[in-house]
Amino acid sequence: MRMSGLRPRISPLTFTFVLIVGCLTVGPVLMLILGSFSRGIGAFGVFTVEKYIRVYTDPSLPKILLNTAAFTVGSSLFATALALILAYLNVRTDIPLKGLFHLISITPMMIPHIVFATSWVLLLNPSNGILNLLLREVLGLKSSPFDIYSLGGMILVEGLLDLPIAYLIIAPAMASFDAALEEAAWVSGGSKFRALRRVTFPILRPAILASLALVIVRSLAAFAVPSVIGMPGRVYVLTTYIYRLISLGFMPDYGRAAAVGVSVLVTSTVLVYVYRRLTARSERYVTISARGYKPAIIGLGRWRYPLSFLTSLLFLVLIVIPVLVLLYVSLIPYVMPPSAKAFSMMTLKHWNYVLHDPLSLRALRNSVFLALVGATLGILLSTFVSYIIVRVKSAGSALLESLAFFSFSFPGLVIGIGFMWFFVRTPLYATIWALLIGYIATYLPYGIRPLTSTFIQISEDLEEASKVAGGGFLYTFRRIVVPLAIPGIVSGWILMASMFLRELSLSAVLSRPGTEVLAVQILRFADDSLWGQVSALGIVMIALSTTMVTLATLVGKHIGKSK
Amino acid sequence: MKRWVPALVGLLMCLSFVAFSHGDELLQKALQEGKVVFYANITAVEPIMEAFYEKYGVVAEYTRISTSKYLPTVLTEFGAGKLLADVLQAPVPILEILKKQGVLAPYTSPVASAYPEWTMDPDGIIQIFGIEYVGIIYNKDVISPEEAPKRYQDLTDPKWYGKIVMPNPTSHATTISWLIGLKEKVFETEDEWWDFLQGLAANEPLFVKSFGPTPGPIETGERPIGISMPKYIITHAPAPLDWARLEQPLLGTPRGIALSSVAAHPNAAKLFIDYWLSEEAMKLLVTNVGEYVLYPGVYPPIEGIKDATVLPVRTLSEEELEYWAEKFREIFGG
Repeated sequence: MRMSGLRPRISPLTFTFVLIVGCLTVGPVLMLILGSFSRGIGAFGVFTVEKYIRVYTDPSLPKILLNTAAFTVGSSLFATALALILAYLNVRTDIPLKGLFHLISITPMMIPHIVFATSWVLLLNPSNGILNLLLREVLGLKSSPFDIYSLGGMILVEGLLDLPIAYLIIAPAMASFDAALEEAAWVSGGSKFRALRRVTFPILRPAILASLALVIVRSLAAFAVPSVIGMPGRVYVLTTYIYRLISLGFMPDYGRAAAVGVSVLVTSTVLVYVYRRLTARSERYVTISARGYKPAIIGLGRWRYPLSFLTSLLFLVLIVIPVLVLLYVSLIPYVMPPSAKAFSMMTLKHWNYVLHDPLSLRALRNSVFLALVGATLGILLSTFVSYIIVRVKSAGSALLESLAFFSFSFPGLVIGIGFMWFFVRTPLYATIWALLIGYIATYLPYGIRPLTSTFIQISEDLEEASKVAGGGFLYTFRRIVVPLAIPGIVSGWILMASMFLRELSLSAVLSRPGTEVLAVQILRFADDSLWGQVSALGIVMIALSTTMVTLATLVGKHIGKSK
Repeated sequence: MKRWVPALVGLLMCLSFVAFSHGDELLQKALQEGKVVFYANITAVEPIMEAFYEKYGVVAEYTRISTSKYLPTVLTEFGAGKLLADVLQAPVPILEILKKQGVLAPYTSPVASAYPEWTMDPDGIIQIFGIEYVGIIYNKDVISPEEAPKRYQDLTDPKWYGKIVMPNPTSHATTISWLIGLKEKVFETEDEWWDFLQGLAANEPLFVKSFGPTPGPIETGERPIGISMPKYIITHAPAPLDWARLEQPLLGTPRGIALSSVAAHPNAAKLFIDYWLSEEAMKLLVTNVGEYVLYPGVYPPIEGIKDATVLPVRTLSEEELEYWAEKFREIFGG
């Protein structure tokens, strides 16, 4: 009676969601693909393959591809490893200050990427980076020990920016972990470390793979770090190559940029497929079954405080300091290294400006609306889609999974144009609804990834039991599936809401007077290098996100308890 | 002779009445339309929008679109019959493409006659009002005016090694056009220009994606000198920025304004263009944004800028831009 196992036909339920997700994500990508095969700079023109020939025969491409591979895989490994350590300490051990670590792990998600990257430049540039100067002073060095403008610097910052994605996928999987398996390993005489290596990590494999895949896909499409850190260091990756294509000349050919984007799309689709193959036998990862479960807390013993201290130190350097830099920059009249002069000149003028600027205030309202309503609708759709992806293992559900990644996989610089080409043909153009639909369509994987990792761990026996007892599909879904998936739902909602609050790629193209959003407002200031205003608005954004995240976590806990 | 006087006065009164009633009629129609939508890639022009509303009671909505998205946005909207803009402001190369595509309509503002003759489009469509001027900007806390370059060639001095910031000349179209402008309008021989490029490259400038991020590293002292825009001295005040007084002219891409051929608010649009080109609006633009404008006698409040010669660069074709981007890649690397 199991629902899993390959099905020959697509069920009506799967078909409905393939249609919904397809409508949301395929339109803009299709427009871009049409543009990549069209002469001229629009979506429709005489057929040509000239754009593909030109971009793929460029002699600088092999080096760019190599850089891209190193950048994306490096960021992905770094973010996932860091997330694993943090999630383990936070969820499974008795380390103190858990709430703080949890918040810190997801903080980078709330900061506009361009601001975070600039903060790191202020800290680690080789000429007068604050940390470099400090280290030179303390260690008596002649030159700066770190150069942020390098592949390593790019991986560090991108990895930190993507840490929340990795953390929010891995942490719920840790939370849904049945400790009985580990206990069995300990009882059988294995050490705790051995249990971790032989039992814990293998069970977390779907979440780890999901995290690796999602971070690779995201960093493939990232532009802030490659432009702010990569370009000055002459380290070019695919997105900076795309930028070169569209900024060279006043007649930017997005079709040619889309031709490059297609290879990113293909890579991402292959990654999704590989991930699906690797987690195909999902029963192996089931940990929540009818027997009841509890993710037991492991005592760290004498390691409790040293580990806590080390983690605090790491996060002080990696996350707290860059955020403090933001606060500092928002309070000085222009950007300068900290000095007595800087502190004597401190002013609230940037804060006054942004808090009284009608455009910024309207942008704030719009962004909050999009974050709350968008994330709620998005997570509703993601819950159904993820459920189908995990439970209905048919060709239809594989298609659904690939479709969900469609817009997400396209580099942000280009996808906005795809949405514009698409929406301009509808009455939604230049309305807030275009932004809402575009956001959900593009960032659906943020909802789907944490949820699929969670659903994989929930045994189908529970649903079967409900059905045997006479519960219909919706009843079972509402009473059994959703309550068990709360950690995943909360993670997905947080990822989506924070993303929507700082969304830029689509907004930069689709936002118009009346539908301004925060990130576009920040970009306007950033384009003029007005870092004081950028930082002040960035902090407002962090405060809003923190409030949303805290509320979502509390609601999640409350539901979890009542469950 | 005396009997001509009343006739002359009468004629003048008649003319001014016609002119007044024309202006009044335009204003009445603009008021009926209620608003004007303005697409621009220029910075922080809200004060002009507000002043326009206060003066005429017509709302001016401003959408800022970056250069790389300007043409795709306008052409996509135009193609779909949904161009929202009534008035378009952009660098002249962009407006020229829009003109060819039929997006712009002829309109000669009565105020335009105050501008130099070369700023007027022979077809009466694009009116040039300013130049996005580029110069050598430095941090005066780190570099003294005496040390600052006097000629472009001075940037090749090895003392500036690792100290320069500039937009990426292998990808940024405006920077490429500016460098070609130097070859055509400033350097006496092409060899001299090549030497300048080689010397600049040898000093390993820090590349950023466009002019926008250039003042950042200059302000912080990370790179205390750069190829940037003097307007940042105004928009970044009180940052310790100054511009190098060069013996040679400053160059930049001309900026223009034009009426949309499918304007939903054509009268409000004309009223807005008239206001934009007026001395009052140009004064706001130079004071608030530090722009270099071509209205005679109106200068940004930057010391010494009145005495500078500022020349427009020509529009490069797409082929030329690609050719030179490749050449600059060979020289500068990347």
